Amino acid sequence: MDLNYIVYRNLKKNIKNYYLYVFALIFSVALYFSFVTLQFDPSMDEVAGSVKGGAAIGTSSILLVAIVAIFLLYANTIFIKRRSKEIGLFQLIGLTKGKIFRLLSAENLMLYFGSMVAGIAAGFAMSRLILMILFKILEIDAMAELRFSSEALVRTIIVFAAIYVLIMLMNYTFIKGQSILSLFKVNVTTQTQIRKMPLWEIVLGILGIAFVGGGYYISTQLFSGKYTEMSELMRAMITILALVIIGTYLFYKGSVSFLFNAIRKSKQGYLSINEVLSLSSIMFRMKSNALLLTIITTVSALAIGLLSLSYISYYSAEATAKESSPDDFGFARVEAKEKFVQALDAQNIKYKEIHMKPIMMEVDASGIMDNSAFKSPDDRLLLTAVLSEKDFSGMDLQPDETTIVGYGGALQQFMSLSETGEVIFDTLNGKVSLQVQGNSSEAVLPYYYGGGGAIFVVDESRYQGFVQAQNPKVQRGEGKREYYGIELADRSQRAEANEIFLELKPEQPSFSQYEVELEQRSNMGLIMFIVGFLGLTFLITSGCILYFKQMDEGEEEKDGYTILRKLGFTQGDLLRGVQFKQLFNFGIPLIIGLCHSYFAVKSGWFFFGTEMLTPMILVMLLYTVLYSIFGFLSVLYYKRVIKASL
Amino acid sequence: MVILQANKIYKTYGNKFNKQEVLKGIDLQVDKGEFVGIMGASGSGKTTLLNVLSSIDRVSQGTIEIEGKEFTGMKEKQLAEFRKHHLGFIFQEYNLLDTLTVKENVLLPLSITGISKKEAHQRFAQVAGELGIAELQNKYPAEISGGQKQRTSAARAFVHEPSIIFADEPTGALDSKSASDLLNKLSDMNRGRQATIVMVTHDPVAASYCSRVVFIRDGQIYTQLNKGDEPRQSFFNDIIKTQGVLGGVQSWT
Repeated sequence: MDLNYIVYRNLKKNIKNYYLYVFALIFSVALYFSFVTLQFDPSMDEVAGSVKGGAAIGTSSILLVAIVAIFLLYANTIFIKRRSKEIGLFQLIGLTKGKIFRLLSAENLMLYFGSMVAGIAAGFAMSRLILMILFKILEIDAMAELRFSSEALVRTIIVFAAIYVLIMLMNYTFIKGQSILSLFKVNVTTQTQIRKMPLWEIVLGILGIAFVGGGYYISTQLFSGKYTEMSELMRAMITILALVIIGTYLFYKGSVSFLFNAIRKSKQGYLSINEVLSLSSIMFRMKSNALLLTIITTVSALAIGLLSLSYISYYSAEATAKESSPDDFGFARVEAKEKFVQALDAQNIKYKEIHMKPIMMEVDASGIMDNSAFKSPDDRLLLTAVLSEKDFSGMDLQPDETTIVGYGGALQQFMSLSETGEVIFDTLNGKVSLQVQGNSSEAVLPYYYGGGGAIFVVDESRYQGFVQAQNPKVQRGEGKREYYGIELADRSQRAEANEIFLELKPEQPSFSQYEVELEQRSNMGLIMFIVGFLGLTFLITSGCILYFKQMDEGEEEKDGYTILRKLGFTQGDLLRGVQFKQLFNFGIPLIIGLCHSYFAVKSGWFFFGTEMLTPMILVMLLYTVLYSIFGFLSVLYYKRVIKASL
Repeated sequence: MVILQANKIYKTYGNKFNKQEVLKGIDLQVDKGEFVGIMGASGSGKTTLLNVLSSIDRVSQGTIEIEGKEFTGMKEKQLAEFRKHHLGFIFQEYNLLDTLTVKENVLLPLSITGISKKEAHQRFAQVAGELGIAELQNKYPAEISGGQKQRTSAARAFVHEPSIIFADEPTGALDSKSASDLLNKLSDMNRGRQATIVMVTHDPVAASYCSRVVFIRDGQIYTQLNKGDEPRQSFFNDIIKTQGVLGGVQSWT
């Protein structure tokens, strides 16, 4: 039996044991390779209008390398520890450390580069699929072609070879630093100290929950108008981040064991098998993984949050476009509108014209801002656009009445306005007090005119009076006094009309709702695509790490299963207990991650779109499903351990 | 009353080309309230005997009955059910679950039987009082001494009042003081509760606490000693003598 034979045998054994590692490796390589292929693909730069597609993907590929490298290095520390006994044995039979290192290197070389070749092949196949997904998201009608990029190949090989060298370096220092005796004992030392819970841990536990809760609370207040200055806002955001991250760490370090301990105490020592396997084991083990779990939770919350936001943005592109340009097309200058209208007539596209003349006025809105966080009189004096009721079909206001339109989106979150109350309009002829009758979130003027503020609508006669007595000091420039909107009769002709619009290149300011929507789709689509794939990589790698941790834990708890089976618990009993335990082991980080991202998204989603729940829930569901797969895999692993335990 | 009845049990390991007979037709009968010791040198098959008697391992041939129930043919699930109700275990390595407190460890066998909480606490109070571990109930195994661990393990074996208790070298890892302490407790429990105990040991001192000692050699019963009304000291001397013959110098010529 020579060295090569040992290498061969080890390899065979390890592939069976570490199929998930091999899978994760192949997957990482495949993903990286297809990413880099995309980056070098000439079709990418045509893809995303203002954002350079290739550049965006290039930057994120660096992030991808970081995730993959950390994962592979981390996985390696787990595996080298598992094999420490074997290494000790080799040393015992007289192999030198150098020789053992060569043995491991050779074995890893085959495993690693074997998976790499497989990964590149898979990545090559996958890159077309990915490109197809990207085109689909961006609504680009192009054939995704399969191009093999040698640049991508070279880069992939360099990156993963560098990671391989790092891993070998790590193994080398591990082998060098260990004595035979300590190698046999590695598993023993990793076991957690089990003793009674000290007081400081209870304090930490309570603090953890308090911190997370506090962070969540501030996040709900973030854009309620409480923090009006930029520096205050920044401080609040940093506080939230710090509270939530530290809170999460303390939660894993203390709160979980604190809560579980409380449940256990209430049982007064009479535990069911489910509780024996889950509560007592998680109580002690989650603590030692606190840092790892915190990182996983935080990054997955980040991934879910970003993905939700970009999906919200993508999902509500149409509504957002409507907010920023309420009519299909809008013009500030009559000549531009005329040119466009003529072109539409020539193409036989039917339309409706809208003409509005917003006047700017100062309005004292103290009467309807009682519930708002803006307290100082200056903040309550709004400079806003005023329109006449005749621009709205079916609206009939009394001369002393006014109503608010365009009160939606972020504005609604920032500034709460009562539905009724008194507002005072400032004119050259003195102050005019009107009664507010309700408000509507419907946008009527492009963002360009109202600046996203609320718009007051008044009775026609009142409007004429305001026009007469308008204060020239607060009026806007020439381009903002008139608004011409074009509403198509048949909205299915939007694309056609947009072509005309683009061809004419009307002078600014002019707006096309359809164009805004497309732009938003393609920008957000690309971001969503990148965040999605980074998130996926992170999900798979962190899922693998949790799974590997569970493999270790399973081995450590094998003795316990032996005892329990001797006492008369069946395999079924134990398996149920383990399932219960995994519900917590995977469920707790998942739920905390989801909670974090929920509060993150909730605090600021209205800047990104108009619909929060549907896109967010879809993203969360997808994440949960993918994540659960690792939970199931770990239960299958435990099943084998339990079966072999007696 | 007969609690355990083993008839002609054989246990072989390996395949048909490389067979190793560990037990070669052992007959054993244990009555209620007996404290039986099984002695033998390393490799004599005493642990294998204990394993098959306690249903953890299967016999190759022969039958074993506990309280009139034959279990050698039972399925895995039925066996677990059987162990749950009829058997208690004490092991050399204590086999306590590290993550559970003393009380939780002791009450473990009760949680499968579905006994009421109140009754469980009563049982614990009683058995813990008898074994002197009541004050330790909220401590973790890592916080108590070896002797205390073994008494915890014993309490776990007694708490559900099984038909028979199997002890595998219970004193093997203890110092002599803790060992005699434990053995005294065990024989008290044996007398007080009329509990039936089968203990494997290679320590003559431990064996001297038993009411009967069975000697095994090469997978067969070599001889048995009954304590009767003898004092422990003289029973110990008998055991030493028998052990000397059993494991002593053989005539090779």
